[in-house]
Order: sequence, then C-alpha cells, then structure tokens
Amino acid sequence: MIAHKDPMHILLADDDEDDRAFFSEAIMELKMDNKLTLFTNGNGLMDYLVLPDIKLPHILFLDLNMPGKTGIECLKEIRANTRFKDVSVAIYSTSSSEKDIEDTFIEGANIYIKKPNDFSALKKVIKEVINMNWQFHTSGLNIETFFFSI
Amino acid sequence: MKFLKLFKNSQVFKLALGVAILVVCYFGSKFFSQMQKLTSTLELIAKSNDTQLELEKLLSIINSYDYSLRNYIITNDESYLQNRFLNRGIIEEGIKKLKVLTVNDPLRKKDILTLEKLINYRFKLFRETLIAAKSNNVDQLGLKLKLKRSNDYTEMMKLFVYKVINSERLKAKFQNSNHQFELQDSLMTAFLLIILSLLILLLSFNKTNIDIEALKEANDKLKLLNESFNTAEKTAGFGHWMVNLETNTYTFSDNLYRLMGVEPNAFEPNLENTIKYFHPDDLEYVTKVHRESLINHQSTSIVFRFLTATNEVRYIMGVGSFTKDGNGDLIKIGVNYDITNQYKKTLELEENNKELKYINTELESFNNIVSHDLQEPLRKIQMFISRLEEKEFDVLSQQGRDYFSKVRVAANRMQTLLIDLVNYSRTVKGDKVFVETDLNKMITETLIDLSINVEEKNAVIQIGKLPTIKAIPFQIKQLFINLVSNSLNYSQETQIPKISITSEIITEEEASEYKIINKEDYYKIVVADNGIGFKQEYAEKIFLLFKRLETDPKYSGTGLGLAICSRIVDNHNGFIWAKSQPNEGAKFSIFLPKVDMV
Amino acid sequence: MKLNYNYDGNIACRTILQDQLEKLNISYQLLDLGQIEISDNISEESFDELQTSLKRFAIHIIDNPKAQLIQKIKDAIIEIVYNKDKFPNTTISQYLSDKLNYRYGYITNVFSEYTYTSIENFIIIQKIERAKKLIIEEKLSLTEISYELNYSSVAYLSTQFKKVTGLTPSMFKRVIDKRRKLSNTE
Repeated sequence: MIAHKDPMHILLADDDEDDRAFFSEAIMELKMDNKLTLFTNGNGLMDYLVLPDIKLPHILFLDLNMPGKTGIECLKEIRANTRFKDVSVAIYSTSSSEKDIEDTFIEGANIYIKKPNDFSALKKVIKEVINMNWQFHTSGLNIETFFFSI
Repeated sequence: MKFLKLFKNSQVFKLALGVAILVVCYFGSKFFSQMQKLTSTLELIAKSNDTQLELEKLLSIINSYDYSLRNYIITNDESYLQNRFLNRGIIEEGIKKLKVLTVNDPLRKKDILTLEKLINYRFKLFRETLIAAKSNNVDQLGLKLKLKRSNDYTEMMKLFVYKVINSERLKAKFQNSNHQFELQDSLMTAFLLIILSLLILLLSFNKTNIDIEALKEANDKLKLLNESFNTAEKTAGFGHWMVNLETNTYTFSDNLYRLMGVEPNAFEPNLENTIKYFHPDDLEYVTKVHRESLINHQSTSIVFRFLTATNEVRYIMGVGSFTKDGNGDLIKIGVNYDITNQYKKTLELEENNKELKYINTELESFNNIVSHDLQEPLRKIQMFISRLEEKEFDVLSQQGRDYFSKVRVAANRMQTLLIDLVNYSRTVKGDKVFVETDLNKMITETLIDLSINVEEKNAVIQIGKLPTIKAIPFQIKQLFINLVSNSLNYSQETQIPKISITSEIITEEEASEYKIINKEDYYKIVVADNGIGFKQEYAEKIFLLFKRLETDPKYSGTGLGLAICSRIVDNHNGFIWAKSQPNEGAKFSIFLPKVDMV
Repeated sequence: MKLNYNYDGNIACRTILQDQLEKLNISYQLLDLGQIEISDNISEESFDELQTSLKRFAIHIIDNPKAQLIQKIKDAIIEIVYNKDKFPNTTISQYLSDKLNYRYGYITNVFSEYTYTSIENFIIIQKIERAKKLIIEEKLSLTEISYELNYSSVAYLSTQFKKVTGLTPSMFKRVIDKRRKLSNTE
C-alpha cells in the first residue's frame, strides 16, 4: 500500500479570476494536505507541464472555455503523452451538456465537474473528487476506467 | 380489342363482297349464255318457218303450174303458159334459199336435194306433157297417161314436201318449247341477278353509312379532344410544338403562341420567328441545346425565359423528345411549361428559408446566451450569495437576512427558469432524429437523474412494462423527467408521493375524443400520482407556456415544464392530456403513434 | 499496434513477490492476500534490499499495524466482491468483525481515518469497479451483472453506478467503445 505521505498536488487552469478564487478558497477551507498551482490559461499550463523536472500533479482541473488552448486541446495533448498517464484530468466547466461530458471522457478525461453555484457545494465536490481520485490511486482500481461526473 | 374487332369486321365485309361479286359474275355469265342460246333457238325457229314457207311456196308454184298446164290442155289458150319460165325461175330461187336455210342441217339438205331432183323430174314431166299436148297428133291416151303420171308425181311430191314441212314443224315446235323453257330459266337468272345486285348495293350502302357514322363520331371526338386539349393547355399554362426532321416544318399549339404573348397562329411556326420571344440572355443556350438535339436525337430538358410580346418575362420549363410520326418521319415533340409562378414561389421560399435559417441561428445563439452567457453571471451571483451567507449572514440585521434570503430564492428561481428555457428551446430546434427508443430504458435513466429528488420526497415509484418506440430519445427522457418532477413537486405533504408510469390500453372514449381511428396505431403511457391535483377545467391550460396554477411559493415551478411536455409529444405526433381533481392526484395520458409518421 | 488486456492484480503481485524473494534467496511462505511470512533471522541488509526492489513495482512493506489492518479489510472486501459464493449471509459489519477479530466500530474508524472513505463506500466502489470490468468484457448482460454483484435489481445497479461514476452503464460503455475506436485509429 502506498503511504500517503506526500501532499496531494493539484493544478487548476481557468481563465476566470473569480472561479480561481472560489477554487483556491475551497481547497484552503477543506484543510486537506494539498498543494494547489493555478494557471490562467491552457498555454501556460502546457508550458509548465512540459518542463522536464517538475513533480507531476495528482489531479489536473481544466476549464473548457479558455482563450488560447482550450481545455479539450490541453486534454488531447496530455493524453497523447504517456508521461502523464497517471495524472487524473478533471474537467471543470460551466457546461452540463451530456455531449460535452461524453466528448471529454472519450478524449481521456477522468472527472467531469459542472461548476456549482454554491460555495459549500463546490467544497463538497472538490472533496469528493479528491477522495475518489485517492481511492483509484490507492486501491488498485483501473485508472483507465476511472470516470467521475458530478 | 375493339380495334381488332373492327378490323375483323372490315375483313369479313371484304370477303363477303368478293363472294357476292363472284356469284353475280357467275349468274351474269350464265344469263349471257342463256340469252345467246335463246337467240340461236329463235333463229332456228325462224329458219324452220322460212323453210316451211319456201317449201309451201314451191309446192304452190308447182300446183299453179300444174293448173296452168291443165287449163292449156283443156283450152289450148297459150296465155296460160306465158308464166312458165318465170315460175321456173322462182323455183330455182326458192331452192337456192332453201339450200341456204338448211346449210346447217345435213338431213334437211339431203331432203332439199331430193326435192330438187323431184322438181326437176316434175318439170321434165311438165315439158313432156306440154310437148305431148302441143303436138298436132295428140295421143289422148298418152296424154292422159302422162297427166295421170304427173298427177301422181305431184301427189308424191306433195307428200314429200308435207313430210319435210311436218318434220320442220315438229322441229320448230320442239325448238319453241325449248325456247319457252330457256326463257323461264333466263328470267330466273335475271331476277336472281337483280336481287343479288340489290343486296350487294344495300350491304355496301349500309356499310358505308356505318363507316361514315363512325368516322363522324371519331371526328367529333377528335374535335372535342383537341378542344379540351387546347383548353387544358391554356389552363395549365403549357404549350407544345413539333418539328418534322425530314421536312424541317414546325407546328405550334395555340397556347404556345399565347405563352409568347401573341394570338394563336400570329406568325408562321418556325424557329426564326420564335427567336425574338426568347429572353436575349437565354437565346444562345436554348438554340444551342435545340440544334444539338436535332443532330444527336437526345431528349432535352431546359429552363429558360420567354420575353413576351408585352415585354413580360416568363420562366419556361421545356422538355423535348423524339418519336416517329405516321409516315415514319422522325419528329421532335416539345412541351413548354410556364413555371413562372413556381419559380417565383421557389425564390420566395428560398428567401423565407434563408430567413428561417437566420432566425434559427439567432435562436441558437440565443440558446447559447441563455444556457451559458446568462447562467455564468448568475452562477457567480449565487456563489457570492453563498459566500456571503456563510461568512456575513450573522452580521446582517433580521430584515437584511430576510432580504438576503429573498435574493437567494430569486436567483435560484432564475436559474431553474434558464434551465427550463434551454430545455424548451431544445424541443423547438430542428435536429429531430427518430430512433428506436426503449421507454423502459428512458424511464430508468430518468429515475437515476431524479434519484436525489425521489429520495428527498421518499416517493414510491411504480413502473410497468413500457414499449419501444421510434422517438427522439433525449426528448422522451425530458418528457419523463418533467412529468415525474411535476408529480414530485406537486405532492401532498401528508402523504408519501406515489407515482406510477405504465402502459395502458386506449379506451373507446379516448379513441373518439382524439379521433384515433385504429387504437392499435397508438401507445398510451400513463403517468399518475397522488399529488394535490387540480380542477379538471384547467386540464388544457397547464400545458400552455408560463401557465402556473399554484402561486404558493412552496410549489416551485417555472410554468415551462408541462409546456415542454406538450411540445415533445407534439414533436412525436402524439397527444397528451391530463385528468385530475383537487387533492385526488393527477393522471397524465400520453398517446404516441406506433409507426413513425414523420 | 494497440492491444487490450486484462489482468489479475493478485496473481501479478504474487508472481513479482516470488521472483524478487527468490532472487534475494529469502525463504518465504505466501499467506492470505497482502501477507507473506519470511524467516525472522533475515539480515537488515537484505531486508532493505527487498524493500527497495519491491518499491519499483509499487509494492510496499507495511510496518504500521493499522495500515496492515486496513489492507486486510480491503482484501476481505475485494474477496467477497469478486467471489459471489463468499458473499456473507450475515451483514458485512458482522462478517468483517468476525473475520478480522476486531469490533466493527474500531474497524470503520481506522478505515475512514486512513482512506478518507467509509467501508460501505469502499464496497460500493469495488462493486462498481467490478461492474465496469464485466460491462467491458461484454460476456454478461446488465441483469446478469446485477445478479452477480448481489444487486436487487438492474435499476439499483444503474442508480449506484451513476452515483459512483456520474454516468449510466450505457454511457460508460459508449465512452469506452469510442475511446478504443479513437486509439485504434490513431
């Protein structure tokens, strides 16, 4: 069994300032041992990820509608690279259309989150996502079939 | 079939006519031969009579000679003898005549020859008697002997002549009776001939009459057809033309002239005269297609414009094809159809379509605005509300807290409204793909989606076996979601909500109400609950947009849910109706056609 | 060329353990899942060596007794989820406390503390995990799968599937199929 000694490393790429603020506040209030890195767009995120000596994140939250590289483009690039095969990708979007959900899962996303309209709901969602992700990484579950839509 | 019969009739008639003519010919020839035979018989009779006459003449001459001689002998008057040479000449002539008359009768000829000898001998006797009488020494005894001999001889000659005459009379009599018989025969033949000729004449007349009648009728029909064709062309706005490829002559129908804006037969029908009525922009193309077709004999189909005599533009659909006429000449027949109205309508339709497409894109962007752009700031508002509520609620005054709660409720309500609006607009949009849809699966998915609400209300859901239909799956799911949500929303606080979704048999009453001719053509799905219900008089109103019956804020509705249901059922060519009484639950019946009627 | 494969984590793990232990000449005996017995007089040196070599395969030697208990709980749950016959007639709590010889309250407390989830939730996750495998294998219908996993109805399985994954079983299947198609065409 993997000892959960290292802090959970979380990335978020979202062009919306408020949403980034809500997200980091939620993570902070959850008081879990997490490390959050924020990106304001897809290009910045991808530039960071390709750096050779970074520590890979456990979960990557991706907004779909971003200027420059969109969330789905980032997702495709990430899934095309085996280096990131153990990184869980969570789509973090305002859209709740089934098509968006299906499309992103097909492209290799593991988690789909519709941005909640209530802060406590956001906290709950993030907590559940982190927990579920944790289960997948600690209980021998198949990450290939890891889907979690909330 | 009729034609074949007619053809056969005329064949039979020809045959009959032929036979009749043959029969007439036969009788005619027979009549002719009978007449000829009759003539020869008559001739024979005449000859026989002549012979008799001549013979009797001869006999009388001899007699008169005899008398003259006797008179001389008695009287010795020389004057009695003055005619003797003349008499002799007459006899010669008579013999000659007899010879001619009996030339065809060998037996009679022999008789005449015998008679001639007898006469000659008689005259010898006359001469001897005369000599004897004249001599001066009349030997009275010798003379008497001579006279006696002469007398006997005359008697004998008489007998011979009578015998000949008798036989000649017998012959004539026989010929005569023969003649009678032949005459009767000929009469019969002539009568038959006349009857037959009359018959043929009558038959021919009748036939001709009938033929003329038929011809007249056909002519009338043709005239009528032509007239109705002309009228039809006029009414339907098409005209036709023909060109004989061998003679290069054109024929135009009346209405073709009218299509060009001129009176029928206003000009000689040919290509050159028509040219000025073609729209200048189309002329080259039209004549090129026409001329090429005259060479390769391929059918043509073109759309062009006539510029009529009154400078009006007419859109014409022209089709041409090749065939052979009665003389085996190759002809091209063309039909020109005035499609101006259709063309203009199509243009109008295209214009409308463009506008519709534009409206659709507008609607689409409106949808995007509602579903994303409008929801975004609203979500932020809600987020900030929740942040404030969590952190700053306590520092607000009681009134401030009330206001704040109202802000939250209003924001939430706006959110549901936006979601419903998106759902409603999704049912209006065009992309309706009908596929085999298992309603059991749809209801399962619905209940999964609504599981939180169902659990919250502790509702009991009962599902019957549902059919598989051709439908738009997401809309059917939306329909169930809305109906079940509706039942959950309007449940009675005092009872556990019970909702059943079942497939039922259509009743006679419903069939007549909805003019369902065959009950087998529709499925009936019933969603029933034990909620607060409503007055039956509102049963139709509840399906209208933004129509809400309950104003109590605890029943949260947007007035869109059932309107969406109505639209969805409409999209599937079905009906939905509600039956309810206050506090007795509501029953929603959905009728969906079994066969895809789209 | 892309190949699809399935595997049995337990067998893989045991094989790796056997290989590594034999390589280091350590005598051993395989016990229940997640447990082996080695001779006590093993040198510290070779123990470290074993630990490092196993780490490469993400196999960790657990020296914490609570962690050991958690592993035992997980193994017990996986055993009943993957083997219908072993599914207890009694309640799960009874079964676990009997099997592990602890009070159930203690077991759940320890489990939640270390795994950030409840035993109940863990069972659901494991059952859905197995359901996913069975759906992908396509050998069983959804009804048969719900029976195999001791669900009272397909609807219940579907509801739970949706709760855990956010997807309906049919959408899950569709996504998997489309993913495979996508990776095969690349």
